[in-house]
Amino acid sequence: MSAIIEIRELSKHFARRLAVDNVNVTIESGEIFGLVGPNGAGKTTTMRMLVTLLEPDKGEILVGGHSVRKAPREVRRLIGFMPDSFGVYGDMTVQEYLDFFGACYKIPTAQRLSLINDLLQLVDITHRRDDMVDTLSRGLKQRLGLARVLIHDPSILVLDEPASGLDPRARIEIRELLLEIARLGKTIIFSSHILADVAELCTRVGIMEGGKLVAVGTLDELTEKAVPHRLIRVAFLNQVDLEKAQFALSAVPGISSVQEQEGLGKAEWLSLEAEFVGDDEALRGVLANLIAQGLPVVHFSEETQNLEEVFMRATQGIVS
Amino acid sequence: MNWQKPFQQLMDNPVVMKELRGRMRGRQAFVLLTVYLGLIAFFIIMIYNFLYGITNTVTWDPSTRQAAGKAIFGTVVLLELFLLSFIAPGLTAGAITAERERQTFDLLRTTLLSARSLVLGKLGSAVTYLFLLILAALPVQSLAFLLGGVGLGELVVSSLMLVVTALFYCTLGIFFSSIMKRTLPATVSSYAMILLSFLILVVIFFMIAYIESVSYNSFGVQAVQDVLTAAAWFLISTNPLMAAVMTEVILVDQQSLFYTTSPLFGGAGPIYLPSPWIVYTILYTGLTFILILLSIYYVNKPDR
Repeated sequence: MSAIIEIRELSKHFARRLAVDNVNVTIESGEIFGLVGPNGAGKTTTMRMLVTLLEPDKGEILVGGHSVRKAPREVRRLIGFMPDSFGVYGDMTVQEYLDFFGACYKIPTAQRLSLINDLLQLVDITHRRDDMVDTLSRGLKQRLGLARVLIHDPSILVLDEPASGLDPRARIEIRELLLEIARLGKTIIFSSHILADVAELCTRVGIMEGGKLVAVGTLDELTEKAVPHRLIRVAFLNQVDLEKAQFALSAVPGISSVQEQEGLGKAEWLSLEAEFVGDDEALRGVLANLIAQGLPVVHFSEETQNLEEVFMRATQGIVS
Repeated sequence: MNWQKPFQQLMDNPVVMKELRGRMRGRQAFVLLTVYLGLIAFFIIMIYNFLYGITNTVTWDPSTRQAAGKAIFGTVVLLELFLLSFIAPGLTAGAITAERERQTFDLLRTTLLSARSLVLGKLGSAVTYLFLLILAALPVQSLAFLLGGVGLGELVVSSLMLVVTALFYCTLGIFFSSIMKRTLPATVSSYAMILLSFLILVVIFFMIAYIESVSYNSFGVQAVQDVLTAAAWFLISTNPLMAAVMTEVILVDQQSLFYTTSPLFGGAGPIYLPSPWIVYTILYTGLTFILILLSIYYVNKPDR
């Protein structure tokens, strides 16, 4: 994979407010890059600079080797952008809408019809082709928006909150659609407040706060940085002396902060939670140690850290 | 000159097709056309009845008929100028701001559609609709030809002035639409500018006329007279209604379509001045061009 987007020392002020503060990131071709952060973190501003709508105060953005400042038209050829809230022309039919944007991208008339057919099929709204855009539901408008950003076959899709305001079914459908689009080899950059979507879709995640990019990496990398230890949970049959079990677990190398845990598995189980530093082999040793001591272990698991925990640890609630 | 190329370019502009389709799809376009033609027809009937009443004859003699023809033609042209001044900015003052309000402006700006194509497309569609109004009024206007008294020169000059006026007022609307964020202030600013150009220029014209008569009576200095006359003449030429009226007056009095030699306010020697429609056409074409360039600049400007 090669870098398709390079953002270097990017900064943007609005009056006296620093909206984006020295952001550096490289995005590889074919990646699904998720940008998360609280409201006012600078996600939308960064995206608007990326798609040539805003002029950076400082720094540079290269898209496919083209500078957004010096060659905005070349950048626009490569990018399809869907803002968080976008309007549609209500007085047009679905087909006319896509045809208009196809013409705006200088696609020859002869090619546009077959292209529109393919896109309508991809986003599954062929049956609404002759309906006025105004009559579509919000979810279908979002699908139409995705068809629009694909009309000129861009290499990169920049989607600002593509699932915002959608009902759960529409949200899941959009997520599936994005995965399908990613399979076509497109690079997708999207922002979302729905961390579960980001965790499920993205190959890498960037966390923004107060205009700064505070963390970038795969979910595993971010987890490792944000949470340096592993969290393990052990449950015993209720005949065990919990204090003895607690002592035994604390004595195992790498284990710390052993605490009683409620609500794990069956009600009659006695459970403990502990922090552990070590690799998988050492983890296997922990379980072997407990069994060797004759403790009646019925459950042994590692609690996987999710993006929400990583996000909460990486951010402090700062708004720029 | 190959006229097919610019026409083809206009038709290839996706904004023109989108706007025209949208405009003609609703009822508004047809209602406006009907009201426009209805008003013109109403005034023609009024004038005809008025002239018929005061002459009080069953059959008009040729000179009366020609005078009636001129009156009807002049009224239609002035009425069209007046109506276009109202309709044109209304068609374009929301051209760019509506895209902003509808949140489609960013979508357009990230396509390969240039600011020039967007502005010219919006302008082209509005002007095309105004041309439809002008063309639709031609059969009503041609009633004047049945009566006589209207020459080809008058027809050409009046049509030219209508086209130049339509273009300028449409461009004025586009200009305010490109510099403002919302449609309402852009519309108010466009109409305010038109109203001011009508009122202030008329006031200045009469002030100059007054100063000139006073200075002539007091000092009799020819150079001052000439400067003031030229200034007054220029002001007349900047107002579409006054320019049209004065052009007609010169044509009738001096049989001249291109210039006049009469001093305006009774000065000593004749001053050769171009007919107001010439100054008007050159001035407003220039202003239209400048406003188009400014509109393109503001539409193209990235947000800061």
